[in-house]
Amino acid sequence: MLAEVLTQVAVVIAILVPVSIIVFIGRERLARTRSEWRTRLKTTAPMIAVLIVVLLINRVARQVAPKLSRQIGIRLTSAFYNIEGEFILVFQAIQTPETSAYFSSIYVYGYTFLLIFPVIAYFTLSDTRVFRRLLAAYALNYAIGLILYIFVIAYGPRNLMPAELMERMLYDTNPEYQYLTREVNTSTNVFPSLHTSLSATVAAFAWQTRSEFPKWLPVAVVLAASVAISTMYLGIHWGIDVTAGLLLAALCVTLSHRLVGRWSLEELTEKYGDRFLWLQERLPSSQEQD
Amino acid sequence: MNWNPTLPDDGLSRRSFLAAGATGAAITTSGCMNSVRSVVGQAGDDQLSLSIATVPAEGDKQSIQIARRLESNLKKAGMAVSLDVRSQSEMLKAVLIDHDFDIYVGLHPADYDPDFLYETLHSTYANEAGWQNPFGLTNMAFDTLLERQRHSEGDERKRDVQSVLKALAQAKPFDPICMPDEYRLARADRFEGWNEADLTTRHGYLGLEPADGVDQIHALKTDARATSNLNPLSATMRERNTTIDLLFDSLGTVNNGEIEPWLATSWDWTEPDASEQASTLTATVTLREDCQFHDGEPLTPEDVAFTYRFLEDTSLGRAPSSPAPRYQGHVDVINEISVDDDAVDGEYELLFSFEGGREAAKRAFTVPILPKHYWHDLVDGRAADGEFIAPQGRWIAVTGDHIPPVGSGPFQFDSRTQDEQLRLTRYEDHFTLREDVNLPGPTVDELRFDIAPSSSSAIRQVADGNADVTASMLSAYTLDAIPDTPDVEQLKSTSRTFYHIGFNVRNAPFSNTHFRRAVSQLIDKEAIVEDVFYGHATPVATPVTDEWIPESLEWNGEDPVLRFLGSDGELNVEAAKATFESAGFRYDDNGRLLGGY
Repeated sequence: MLAEVLTQVAVVIAILVPVSIIVFIGRERLARTRSEWRTRLKTTAPMIAVLIVVLLINRVARQVAPKLSRQIGIRLTSAFYNIEGEFILVFQAIQTPETSAYFSSIYVYGYTFLLIFPVIAYFTLSDTRVFRRLLAAYALNYAIGLILYIFVIAYGPRNLMPAELMERMLYDTNPEYQYLTREVNTSTNVFPSLHTSLSATVAAFAWQTRSEFPKWLPVAVVLAASVAISTMYLGIHWGIDVTAGLLLAALCVTLSHRLVGRWSLEELTEKYGDRFLWLQERLPSSQEQD
Repeated sequence: MNWNPTLPDDGLSRRSFLAAGATGAAITTSGCMNSVRSVVGQAGDDQLSLSIATVPAEGDKQSIQIARRLESNLKKAGMAVSLDVRSQSEMLKAVLIDHDFDIYVGLHPADYDPDFLYETLHSTYANEAGWQNPFGLTNMAFDTLLERQRHSEGDERKRDVQSVLKALAQAKPFDPICMPDEYRLARADRFEGWNEADLTTRHGYLGLEPADGVDQIHALKTDARATSNLNPLSATMRERNTTIDLLFDSLGTVNNGEIEPWLATSWDWTEPDASEQASTLTATVTLREDCQFHDGEPLTPEDVAFTYRFLEDTSLGRAPSSPAPRYQGHVDVINEISVDDDAVDGEYELLFSFEGGREAAKRAFTVPILPKHYWHDLVDGRAADGEFIAPQGRWIAVTGDHIPPVGSGPFQFDSRTQDEQLRLTRYEDHFTLREDVNLPGPTVDELRFDIAPSSSSAIRQVADGNADVTASMLSAYTLDAIPDTPDVEQLKSTSRTFYHIGFNVRNAPFSNTHFRRAVSQLIDKEAIVEDVFYGHATPVATPVTDEWIPESLEWNGEDPVLRFLGSDGELNVEAAKATFESAGFRYDDNGRLLGGY
């Protein structure tokens, strides 16, 4: 079942990404990328490494974190439920089989696409800072999210209101998706909504790069909003988790601007060059193009 | 073994017992208030606040809905309520081991015989961790009734069990809500015989006739706990013992509600000598010869005797007594076990003497037989470290995962992937595979349990032909949509398990019988069955199957003893408040129920 779902996701992404490249990026940028990709890759390698490390830690931590979380975490299911009650049931007003199908596919396919496409798009920009900031923002989202997951133990609305959410719960209409999400996360990790924070991060970057990718902005905003709503519509997250996701996105976007470009690797290598000779040798001389 | 077996000549009459129940608060709290943190706000003018522990919908879709209905009605009656949602094992730990709860909602595994109420309610277990008396009830009148049903047989026992049920319906240490219809789904084309035995017992997986070329049973569980713990003593990692019973043998086996010889070839009863005061019921148990554990060690009468001793005290006398958090009712009915040296083939005979009648005694034959060499070594190893303590219900012998498990059952452990899969293989040396043994055995090379995320995905997999059977009870919401095609068979089991709410009677105000009775009147069992179970359950006032229920406790459209204060699921708030007031509670001007009383 898992393999089936993964194949479906892969097929959808394999169709959406090339189409989007043609629509949003354009031939000119692609041509330039073809000639510059080696230098860009070298420039951005440290940040790519940081993101990969964070994702790997995330993956390992997922085995260990639940146990640690049970020991030191705070149980907040009851608090969230007492604060917002049945708020997420407002989406019952827009419930039809069509909206359920829309939000289910947004939650699985839309979200995956939303995260992957900007990575490709921003790599085609000559100025690698946007690309590096995006990766930094992703890494921050995952890192801070992981820490919050350890400290907060909370079940989502679907675990408290199964009857009210029955018709549209992702897992009952499309039980195969549960095989996928089970791989990715445990059910007590709902605060914050990383779906929301990463989608909002992408939307914020789309706004900042609207002059480079004007057509991408409306698509990213609509997709991001749909992802945030889908998490509540499907009963996976509380309104509180989504709010926290938006705040986390704002924090990560801001931090990514503060951190990336502040210390260029050039400066760092000058400062600590003697300690990192091997690094200096590998770095291109025209490190920062700003 | 640790209670006084002599019955009073003249037991309490029903009326005097009910009087005791009515003034039960004083009795029920005596002597067990020491170790438990009270989680209930009790200060004079504060609102009474309490929490309801239960499991999330992914563990059990029904419990959380019952809990939320109760929450809503308790709030309407003026209390501050919070939901304490925990995973299945964590909920059981809080309730059974830590006794850290106010009220919980859950599914009780029950048993084939109402004697399970003995360990569930007897005072002797009030301070023990485990399935034995999690409520902390200490009530001598109850003890007397429970002991009496243990000693009697036939119609007399039926009347004695009914006395227990009547007392339970009044005193409400827990309130049974309903018995869910228990359905499973199997593919019709790969095996014959799904309907021969119940999939809640080991027999459900034995004696199946595979079609040509089929050498694996592929079953789907929705509960992943068996992939991370196969310790037969664990209280928190399972409710029912079906998987354990495939890995371990027991002297007798429960099949279609009856006990039949299994690892024992026979048991011969000797009735107590009426002229002698000290004489008790005894049974000569003949053990099957040449059986082995999965690690190749022989299974001898010594292992059998050891098992019962170990369950009674897992520290084996080297530390303060540490009874296992399971099977206490089973072992306490036994007075003594001796290996019978005088018998002709003495090596395989044991002499059991019991503190009870045959029906209660037979239940003792259902515990898993453990290898002495393994568990004795484990205790030795721990005890060798010098200061040895074995905190009851909490030490490694009863909480460890015990993977790979060393049993002697028809299937042996092969491998597992946590939260995903458990693979068992046929134990080729199992006695059921011998030519001269006429018992159902493992008919396939492999029994594989995959964990499905939900009942609906499990049904879909079986209907699509990707799995053979759903091993877990199907959730009520799926039952109206079970595919009805010739490719699949619907399997119905006798409903024994029951949803219930349990009270921690160690603490005020749950120590107050009147309070518990008032709370149980906030539960509309009829509406719960309709709305939460879509009609696929039976509302009950007692936690046992039909044949034991006295006429006065039969369900007749509403609870025969404490009926719901309202109608059609809607609480009559005024009536509810009046009930709490007449139970001695006060309300402030804002309609909040006050904690001090």
